[in-house]
Amino acid sequence: MSRKQLDRILLAVVALAAFGLPLVVTSPTYLQILILLFFYAYLTTAWNLVGGFAGVLPLGHSVFVGIGAYTSSILTLQYGVSPWIGMLVGGAIAAVIGVIIGLPTFRMRGAYFCLCTIAFAEGIRVMVENIDTLGPLKINGPRGLLVPLLKDPTFWDYQFMSKLPYYYIILVLLILVLAFTWFISRSKIGYYLAAGGEEPEAAAALGINVANYKLFAMALSCFLTALAGTFYAQLMLYFYPKGLMGLDLSFEIAFIALIGGRGTIAGPVIGALLLRPLNEFTRIYLSDMLPGLHLVIFGLILILVMIYLPKGLTAPLAALYDRLARKITGQGAAK
Amino acid sequence: MTAVIQAALNGAMMGAMYGLTALGLTLIFGVMKVVNFAHGSLLMVGMFSAYWLIRLTGIHPYLALVIVPPVLFVFGYYLQDVVIKPVFKAEGQVREPLTVIIVTTGVWYVLDNLALMLFGAEYRTVRTAISNKSFALGEFIISIPKFSGFVVAIATAIGLALFMRKTKTGKALRATSLDREAANLMGIDQYRIYNIAFGLGTAIAGIAGCVLIPFYYVYPSVGVVFDIRAFIIVVLGGLGSIPGALLGGLVIGLIESVFSQFMASTWTEAIIYAIFLIILFVKPSGFFGHKQDW
Repeated sequence: MSRKQLDRILLAVVALAAFGLPLVVTSPTYLQILILLFFYAYLTTAWNLVGGFAGVLPLGHSVFVGIGAYTSSILTLQYGVSPWIGMLVGGAIAAVIGVIIGLPTFRMRGAYFCLCTIAFAEGIRVMVENIDTLGPLKINGPRGLLVPLLKDPTFWDYQFMSKLPYYYIILVLLILVLAFTWFISRSKIGYYLAAGGEEPEAAAALGINVANYKLFAMALSCFLTALAGTFYAQLMLYFYPKGLMGLDLSFEIAFIALIGGRGTIAGPVIGALLLRPLNEFTRIYLSDMLPGLHLVIFGLILILVMIYLPKGLTAPLAALYDRLARKITGQGAAK
Repeated sequence: MTAVIQAALNGAMMGAMYGLTALGLTLIFGVMKVVNFAHGSLLMVGMFSAYWLIRLTGIHPYLALVIVPPVLFVFGYYLQDVVIKPVFKAEGQVREPLTVIIVTTGVWYVLDNLALMLFGAEYRTVRTAISNKSFALGEFIISIPKFSGFVVAIATAIGLALFMRKTKTGKALRATSLDREAANLMGIDQYRIYNIAFGLGTAIAGIAGCVLIPFYYVYPSVGVVFDIRAFIIVVLGGLGSIPGALLGGLVIGLIESVFSQFMASTWTEAIIYAIFLIILFVKPSGFFGHKQDW
């Protein structure tokens, strides 16, 4: 058996397990936890296109989740447009706003870029909280929007009576975005982005227009992030600016990526697999006794990973898999 | 007009508090080239320390000023030594390592939520001898705790500036901030200087905590209010600049209080972010910053 075959078998097993999981997990509560796990893995993978491959650290991505949720929900509530279409419109708006934010900020160095993305995101959140109606659009300020529960929803309404369809929608979205990331990381664009992230001056000297590729990555990342916003709105049927567009979500996305492994394909998934269950269970079982414990653990893991595994958890896991694979395929030490 | 001037006076006094917080942040950035995301949490630690000290011993709030800052200096010194330094050492060659920023974010989460676990989420105040005292200046009313906070902020800035110029340690701090490698070659232990810078920044957060506690609420996430403003002030004043931090604080305090006379106070937050972004795009070095620092 060759290494390539082994990789394929492993991928197939993981994919089959993910698709078959609802056969075992039938409780809506646990299904919801899995849905949110995939939701975070999806968001982090989308973030990774900028935060991982383009080598900067955006800390305001929740604003694009908000743009997605608001766009599709306003279109549905006020104009009767299907959320499936609203989702794409929201994605397009998020991509445009992402480019507008990226144009001036990509010139900035490290910490300034972080602060800038925070200021943009918080500024937009504060504005949304202060606006009740924008022209004909009802935004509803800090109270947020309520997506009414339909009696007999069809697929076209993006609303389902059971959790199962949501599970498969977010799973498919996650697989698509992972495949997409894999494709990009192997393409010319991916190499250019990596070069621009590590050595912007050197890349520019080779004639690579770093800024343009970063903007492209930003537009893509924002588009994909906004799609998840619509998904969240249709899943929860209620959202408000502070919860959906606040810094907490932005930071959590970045943390998952950093702990899992920034700039790797599996990193966001591994990070979400570790942190989301931890988050949910400590919140469910311990938050009455010890509020905030899950965030203390979060912070400690982040600090420990940064000190001991600054590249994230994916690197040692990949090395482990590599060793196992070599044993199974019977090949000696790699070159 | 009277109302506007009164608001401006209050804004200037609150702005001095923002400036005082920003002072520690700018010192840490100036020396270590790291934006300390945990700075608001350090202020929270300072406020809780002052709160419990006054609450349990009943001492005068300004007596806490001689106890809390030294304790926080030690806390900050060892926080940097144990938690942040290892990451620095791993990325020694990078001028502004992002991983260090991330570690300070982790410290922020740990400190804020430890406070939440220990003390709960409620807003606490402690009534002190000076809490509700005020004096009249013409037709304007000046609150005594806020005014003394203002005085302490300016005194701290002057003291810090003198320390940086006159003492050997201060000169070592400045040398490290100018050129890490050259300072190293001159026999300055870079990491000890970082410990001192972080300790000093934390001690200044302790000073701010002591002067805030007679008139401000303390709760586990109180730092976030000051954190975001301190970032903005530091960029406005120029990263690493002591007078810039104070001036930037006054500007933000004035904008906040004067604008809220004319519009809903929730909008002033959006205006502050807008001003911040405009400064960054137009003059990223701020009032007194160095050009190469952005």
